[in-house]
Amino acid sequence: MGWKIALGAAGVVIVLGTWWLGAMAIDNPSILPTPPDTLRALGELWTDGVLTTDLWASIRRILIGYGISMAIGIVVGISIGSFASIEAATEAPIGFLRYIPASALTPVFLLWLGIGESPKVWLIVVGTVFFNILMVADVARSVPRELLNAAYTLGAGRGTVLSRVIMRHSVPGMIDVARINLAAAWLMLVVAELLAAQEGLAFQIVMAQRFRAVDTMFALLIVFGVIGIVSDLGLRWLRNVSSPWARP
Amino acid sequence: MSALDLTGSPSAGLSGDLSDIVVPSRKLVVEGVSKVFTKRRDRVVALEGVDLHVEDGELVCLLGASGCGKSTLLSIIGGLEEATEGRVLVEGDVVVGPGADRGMVFQGYSLYPWLNVADNIDFGLRLGKWSKARRKERIEELLGIMSLTEFADALPRELSGGMRQRVAIARALAPEPDVLLLDEPFGALDAQTRRHLQDFLLGVWHRTGATILMVTHDVEEAVYLSQRIYVMSARPGRIAEEVVVPFGRHRGSQVKRDPRFLDLRDELADTLG
Repeated sequence: MGWKIALGAAGVVIVLGTWWLGAMAIDNPSILPTPPDTLRALGELWTDGVLTTDLWASIRRILIGYGISMAIGIVVGISIGSFASIEAATEAPIGFLRYIPASALTPVFLLWLGIGESPKVWLIVVGTVFFNILMVADVARSVPRELLNAAYTLGAGRGTVLSRVIMRHSVPGMIDVARINLAAAWLMLVVAELLAAQEGLAFQIVMAQRFRAVDTMFALLIVFGVIGIVSDLGLRWLRNVSSPWARP
Repeated sequence: MSALDLTGSPSAGLSGDLSDIVVPSRKLVVEGVSKVFTKRRDRVVALEGVDLHVEDGELVCLLGASGCGKSTLLSIIGGLEEATEGRVLVEGDVVVGPGADRGMVFQGYSLYPWLNVADNIDFGLRLGKWSKARRKERIEELLGIMSLTEFADALPRELSGGMRQRVAIARALAPEPDVLLLDEPFGALDAQTRRHLQDFLLGVWHRTGATILMVTHDVEEAVYLSQRIYVMSARPGRIAEEVVVPFGRHRGSQVKRDPRFLDLRDELADTLG
């Protein structure tokens, strides 16, 4: 275990060191700031209160939009994975819709929904829901046949098999799906905030660009990275706690 | 042919040595079951005109080489697949789909990995009309019979393959099915565990008086365990012969050295080819 931690630390040091050396070589903070410059900018964001209000604005959009997307993904995905009839009926439309780049829908959504919160939330939903549906359907399909047959021969009906076997077996897989597609949700959020927003992390990046404050932009990028790592660890923890039987 | 009892039509019933059954009653009857798979223009006859029966409290084996349709037949009896022709009766009632009257044990990987041993056994009891107190009692009884009491709280992944199959048998027996159907239950186990579980199954059978139909491709296993054997031939799958095993219910492993055991084993092995 020791050598893994050492190598991990070495990786971080190499990335940071390269950045720092590069910044010193260029010696122009309005092109590439050094790590200390960036930290200072991060501190300013925090004391200005920008970090709390804008971070929360972005996280709230993700929570609502991605929450709706996962809910739809679970209901529709489990149905597709469990019933051949539903699979047959939905295959063609979903197959078509999922190839439309959701970011291309931004102007349409702005036109339909105005510039408030709803176009941003719905962009996140549309940008992730088809991935969620298809991947949850795969998770539901991967329940071993014998687990289903065993339930039927123990007197279970279709409803019981769905709730006690398919749903239960799919819990760790569905959390994995949520974890993987969360990155796409942040992508859609940034697209939405870059185009039209009064607050949010990506909106702050646009603002920083106007003042050529590259250090602030870097600080915001680091915030994105930290959110990603924290949510990833959180979902891994949830998976292990909810389904210790599926731990690798 | 002393040990082989050939009956032209199985439905002729009590021929041969079934003296230890006083009042026979047929728990399970399979009548003229055929199964045809059609894939595009290919038509494969998996089973053709299968007749068989299992008496109350009997342990019968369905013996055949792989691909002879024996597992398909068991699935039809279990209600998991539909027969193209013919019907299955349990206690005189025609089978429509799967149900708790026919417990089933599969080759492996059929325990619920998120449920511990006791809760796996409880799965069928929760679905039936069992009171909480009776469920608890029944689970403890089965844990005792299966020598699993100290593993009640263990998850399946913490158990050996042999122990998992013991749990699977306990789970199938829990709701007191009319017939227990075993689909090559020891097929995925190593030879030693397999022999151990065969003795174990005989013990369980004696203690519970269960009616058991077991599918196997292992000739020795079939002769050692069963009172009667249906030998199946392949393509199309049909019952080639019905054999009465000339040993009583209580047989120790020394029966495996009995010349009649060896003769019967060799004869059946020849039949299977």
